[in-house]
Amino acid sequence: MGKPTGFLEIHRKIPANSPIADRLQDFREFTVQLNFKQLSQQGARCMDCGIPFCHYGCPVNNIIPDWNHLVYTKKWHQAIHVLHSTNNFPEFTGRICPAPCEAACTLNIDDNPVTIKNIERAIVDRAWQEGWIKPEIAEQKTGKSVIIVGSGPAGMACAQQLARAGHKVTLVEKNDRIGGLMRYGIPNFKMEKRLIDRRIAQMRAEGVIFRTNVHIGVNRKSSILLEGYDAVVLTGGSEHARDLPVPGRDLRDIYYAMEYLLQQNRRIAGEVIPDDIKISARGKNVIVIGGGDTGSDCIGTANRQKAHSITQLEILPKPPEKENKALSWPEWPQKMRTTTSHEEGCDRDWSVITKSFSGKNGQVKTIQCARLQWHQDTSGGWQMEEIPGSEFELKADLVLLAMGFIHPVHEGMLKDLGVALDARGNVKANTRQYQTSIPNVFAAGDMRRGQSLIVWAIHEGRGCAKAVDEFLMGESNLPD
Amino acid sequence: MYDGRMRYEGTVYRPPSEANSFLLQATIGCSWNHCTYCAMYRDKQFRVRPIADTLEDIAAAGRAYGDGVRKAFVMDGDALAMDIDHWEEILTALSDTFPNLRRVSCYATALNLLAKSDQELERLRTLGLKLLYIGPESGDDVTLKRIAKGASFADLDLDQILLNKLAWNPRKNIGQGGLLKFVHGGEDHAYNPDVIQSLQVAVKSGNYNDYRVYADQINNRAPIALRDLLAVNNNNCKAISIDDVEPMEEIVKRFDSAAMSLGALSPEAHETLAEAMNQLGGRSNSGEGGEDKKRYGTVKRSKIKQVASGRFGVTPEYLRSAEVMQIKVAQGAKPGEGGQLPGHKVNDLIAELRFCKPGVSLISPPPHHDIYSIEDLAQLIFDLKNTNPNAGISVKLVSEIGVGTIAAGVVKAHADHVVIAGHDGGTGASPLTSIKHAGAPWELGLAETQQTLVLNQLRGRTRLLSDGQMRTGRDVVIAALLGADEVGFGTVALVVCGCIMMRKCHLNTCPVGVATQNSELRKRFTGKPEHLVNYFMMVAEEVRGLMARLGFQTFDEMIGRVEYLDTHRAVDHWKAHGVDVSHLLHKPQVPEGTAIHAREKQDHGIDAVLDHELIRQAQAALTEQQPVVIEAAIHNTDRTIGAMLSGKVAKRYGHEGLPEDTIYINTTGTAGQSFGAWLAHGITLELQGDANDYVGKGLSGGKIIIYPPAISPIIPEDNIIIGNTVLYGAISGECYFRGVAGERFAVRNSGAIAVVEGVGDHGCEYMTGGTVVVLGHTGRNFAAGMSGGIAYVLDLEERFTQYCNTTQVELESIVAGGDSEYPDDIEAAAGGMLIHHQADQDDHLILHQLIQRHHHYTGSEKAQEILDNWTYYVAKFVKVLPIEYSKALQEMAVGQMVEITNREQAHG
Repeated sequence: MGKPTGFLEIHRKIPANSPIADRLQDFREFTVQLNFKQLSQQGARCMDCGIPFCHYGCPVNNIIPDWNHLVYTKKWHQAIHVLHSTNNFPEFTGRICPAPCEAACTLNIDDNPVTIKNIERAIVDRAWQEGWIKPEIAEQKTGKSVIIVGSGPAGMACAQQLARAGHKVTLVEKNDRIGGLMRYGIPNFKMEKRLIDRRIAQMRAEGVIFRTNVHIGVNRKSSILLEGYDAVVLTGGSEHARDLPVPGRDLRDIYYAMEYLLQQNRRIAGEVIPDDIKISARGKNVIVIGGGDTGSDCIGTANRQKAHSITQLEILPKPPEKENKALSWPEWPQKMRTTTSHEEGCDRDWSVITKSFSGKNGQVKTIQCARLQWHQDTSGGWQMEEIPGSEFELKADLVLLAMGFIHPVHEGMLKDLGVALDARGNVKANTRQYQTSIPNVFAAGDMRRGQSLIVWAIHEGRGCAKAVDEFLMGESNLPD
Repeated sequence: MYDGRMRYEGTVYRPPSEANSFLLQATIGCSWNHCTYCAMYRDKQFRVRPIADTLEDIAAAGRAYGDGVRKAFVMDGDALAMDIDHWEEILTALSDTFPNLRRVSCYATALNLLAKSDQELERLRTLGLKLLYIGPESGDDVTLKRIAKGASFADLDLDQILLNKLAWNPRKNIGQGGLLKFVHGGEDHAYNPDVIQSLQVAVKSGNYNDYRVYADQINNRAPIALRDLLAVNNNNCKAISIDDVEPMEEIVKRFDSAAMSLGALSPEAHETLAEAMNQLGGRSNSGEGGEDKKRYGTVKRSKIKQVASGRFGVTPEYLRSAEVMQIKVAQGAKPGEGGQLPGHKVNDLIAELRFCKPGVSLISPPPHHDIYSIEDLAQLIFDLKNTNPNAGISVKLVSEIGVGTIAAGVVKAHADHVVIAGHDGGTGASPLTSIKHAGAPWELGLAETQQTLVLNQLRGRTRLLSDGQMRTGRDVVIAALLGADEVGFGTVALVVCGCIMMRKCHLNTCPVGVATQNSELRKRFTGKPEHLVNYFMMVAEEVRGLMARLGFQTFDEMIGRVEYLDTHRAVDHWKAHGVDVSHLLHKPQVPEGTAIHAREKQDHGIDAVLDHELIRQAQAALTEQQPVVIEAAIHNTDRTIGAMLSGKVAKRYGHEGLPEDTIYINTTGTAGQSFGAWLAHGITLELQGDANDYVGKGLSGGKIIIYPPAISPIIPEDNIIIGNTVLYGAISGECYFRGVAGERFAVRNSGAIAVVEGVGDHGCEYMTGGTVVVLGHTGRNFAAGMSGGIAYVLDLEERFTQYCNTTQVELESIVAGGDSEYPDDIEAAAGGMLIHHQADQDDHLILHQLIQRHHHYTGSEKAQEILDNWTYYVAKFVKVLPIEYSKALQEMAVGQMVEITNREQAHG
């Protein structure tokens, strides 16, 4: 709702970031949140559209106009209730979601959108601060048991919903800490890990049983899933990374981005990383291959590790600086995005293909690249062609491959269970029943969908929980 | 969401255990919520309890309650499952078991459902089954009989149970609605984010494949309108090649954009619509707010000019610029209400076009005050046709029960077009009470109108047009098959121009510049005529595709061919299972050759009116502005005198007209209806005699003088010499009536000056401007809804406060200005008089001048009396000043001061 003329009177304002020199000193979050009065003003910009495109564009269908209005009228306590009715973990999305809601905001047509993401974050942060967030313990237990494999956002959302519906939920995780990619894939400066720990405490109080260091198919037999549990939910993510099989790939110091980021997160958690597996960018010329968010995370991490230089290479052409809103609204536009990590120091290049790596004594030293030409063929598809004579070379002491994930890891659990896969190699299930080819086995999140956003994972975790509840009980009270 | 299984929970009533079981309640136990219907109906002292739900139970109940049961109510658990034979069994069992049983009742709609024929219904009645009606009174509610046979009370009940369950779900907050605003997972809306996006993409790309994405979303949606329950089939005829079908360019000529006024829309949006429709050969509609003159004769003119109940901006110039003049009897989206424009949206431009003051809210009264019967409508059509003989007359009716009969009358009254407007639409400025559950869908009204007109051999004389949330070619084809010659598009045209259904139109904050007057926001308007042209062409293309499939080469062949529609569309929804739309598809049996679409033109009967003679005699004035004087004897069969002449003046000289008194027409006798309608500036009509209703309707600068002839023995100030609804929608000009007027004198006057010697009830109703002087009694309810203009009433008996409606006005005494030097008679009566109201005007002076003029033109003895005893009489006048108007005048004064200071600053 907000104020009818709010959008005419108030400009968009988002939190400032602390200066680059300061933030490179450590791995802490660096945004300086607005004060409550300023946040209320931002809430006033919302126009309470007759068709809330934000609500429709948000994967979890957050009831955005309502909580914008509640923030404007300073009813923060009610706001968190409305927010929690659709989103289990607003503090995660309020920090690391790319915000398709803002792209869909009608103010985005010819103005600056409402600061929906920041308002979401402010509401939940305040709720934690004021102690308004309590465990929601089910009044009656159902006596049914569910095991959920993979404790990323999909698994956590699913677990919380099912526990609240009264089921006995066990959430298992192959790593030694809960959180999946949120803990180990996302750098601390984008989201501090204590936020995950807070939610774990809440979920524990709601009855969720957490088991770490349990790797189904590796150190536990996959068959335990099918015995002893009434339902199984597979939320193990999509971790089969895209590789770059060019000459020189076997040289030392060429890593998948996930290995690099995970190690840094462990370091921050207090673990001591042995020298023989340590990956450090200190003093090195770092090449990041892949122009997406993971690549950006690598850049931020490498800068904090005091890299000498960082170059990010992307195979697709450079996107336009400004999107053509007339054509792209309300969808997520393709445009040039410069993240805080890019601002901290990086060279970027587009339409570049990697030809090979060269090194000395088994250690990578240089990367050989060439430039590409992209054109549309008769059927409308894009084709790439190397431009002859455009080869060039860059210094490369550390190469990080951030080229995305193709599908979930098939070896182990998925092969053992024998669940059907779809054409892209993801576990096959639809978004109404989330059921796999095994009747009491369900899949949600990246494992079903392919690599995607945290907010989609939460959506699927919730939807899957409702489907599992219906499967076990005949009907479900859980919201969509 | 709901999966189709009927489930009952809680304690309301128990579910039927088998398909043919039922629940029997007899009025003997405690009153029980469900059975309060019985208790309510008549015998509140009886108590109610459920006692049986199978035939076997009746026997047991008989043993338990036997003599005590006097009435029984049968609840059918699943209405469709209980057939006639089963009912017969139950009724027999009941009468055998309960000796004192006097009446057996059930829900009326359940009965309608199961009785397949009237014979079966009779059979049930003879068995003793009396009907208990809950809801609509009798079978006269045709909609109920026609359509809602399918909704049984069991269905309505289940709907409530499901809602109840949703509301009490502890896992979910109380829902935030979804009825008036789109909510994901809530009520289906025809305009949802996908539809808006796909439409806006398609019209920008002009690509037919993009359009098909949009069209499929609409055509294949879950049913929300009657047409979603219909299927278009080709009736076993052969399809033809699309190349043989008439071209898009011909089909788009049948489209018009619905009436949306400038005031509701921004000038940019309004002009874009007009330009696009004109490019296509279709028509755009001005809506009821008047139109900026600079658009006349250009590509931005609105071909359809609306004459609504507010008569805003309706001058002969406005009427002559039209290709079609549309009488808006009502608006489909707000049936029974007039248009509403909040004061803060009335800026300088709007005020100018509507001839009122900025900041004053403009409310059109619900009825036209000159249409109280079908003859009145015929009179108005005649009036308009006289003013612009080249234009057609359209009448816009609301889809509702009985519109067919009304349409028949309208066609007989010579309307060239009849518009059946459905219940959807209206901008976000519509009041909440009008948005939902008001009006009826166009499918019903159109079908009824077509059937009625065909049956009465009237169909060929008029063009039928339908509108109300038309979106795709399929909608157009269904409208045509049900009988429409043309189709109107309203909301969708706005969405094409960028509207995103914010529903904030009434707040003047439309962020895409469509429905706002805010100059900053208007800059954000992104609509272009090309987008609209793309849209309509693509709709026409879809129409052609369907026509080819059905085997029609021309659109005309399609009109009224209901046999190409059937009701077998697979609709899998528990609420649709009993709905029967077959009455829509009834084709009346008429003789061969009876028209089922527009074929001939109406004969308006204007070939022999008096004005032809007046025009002939006034040629010198019309061509060379030479003053002429014309004498004419008139009779009450001479209607609408002066309108055609005014039309001619307006055509050449615009609203400004000719110099005062250029065409001076002296008449004697009794004038027919609408004497001096839309009289243009420069024409003076003097009548020695009397006149009927609608004198000076739409007066646009002319002068009208009426007084009884010298030989008449009546005392004029005590006798009625002119009829009702005089000066309806008058804009400027002067009138001097030596006598009393009927009811509603000067209703919706926005600027004319009038002096009269007494009025009936409701004088100056809804007035927004102008000056009225009443030298005698007023009826009751004077100044109701008056939001502008000033009236002076002579209140000799000091009883006027009892007769005046003071809701919006304040009564004051007349204050003299500083300079009370009165001009002499001749000076005062020279030429024309213009009064510009000021906050501190000299009322004495104005009143004196007006009464002098009145005496000069009519020889009024009453006026003489007042002038001779001025000091005495002036103290007896009451000034009626509307509160909003007073504020607007103050604001004007402030504005003037600001202007002066600015000028000082510029020069200083």
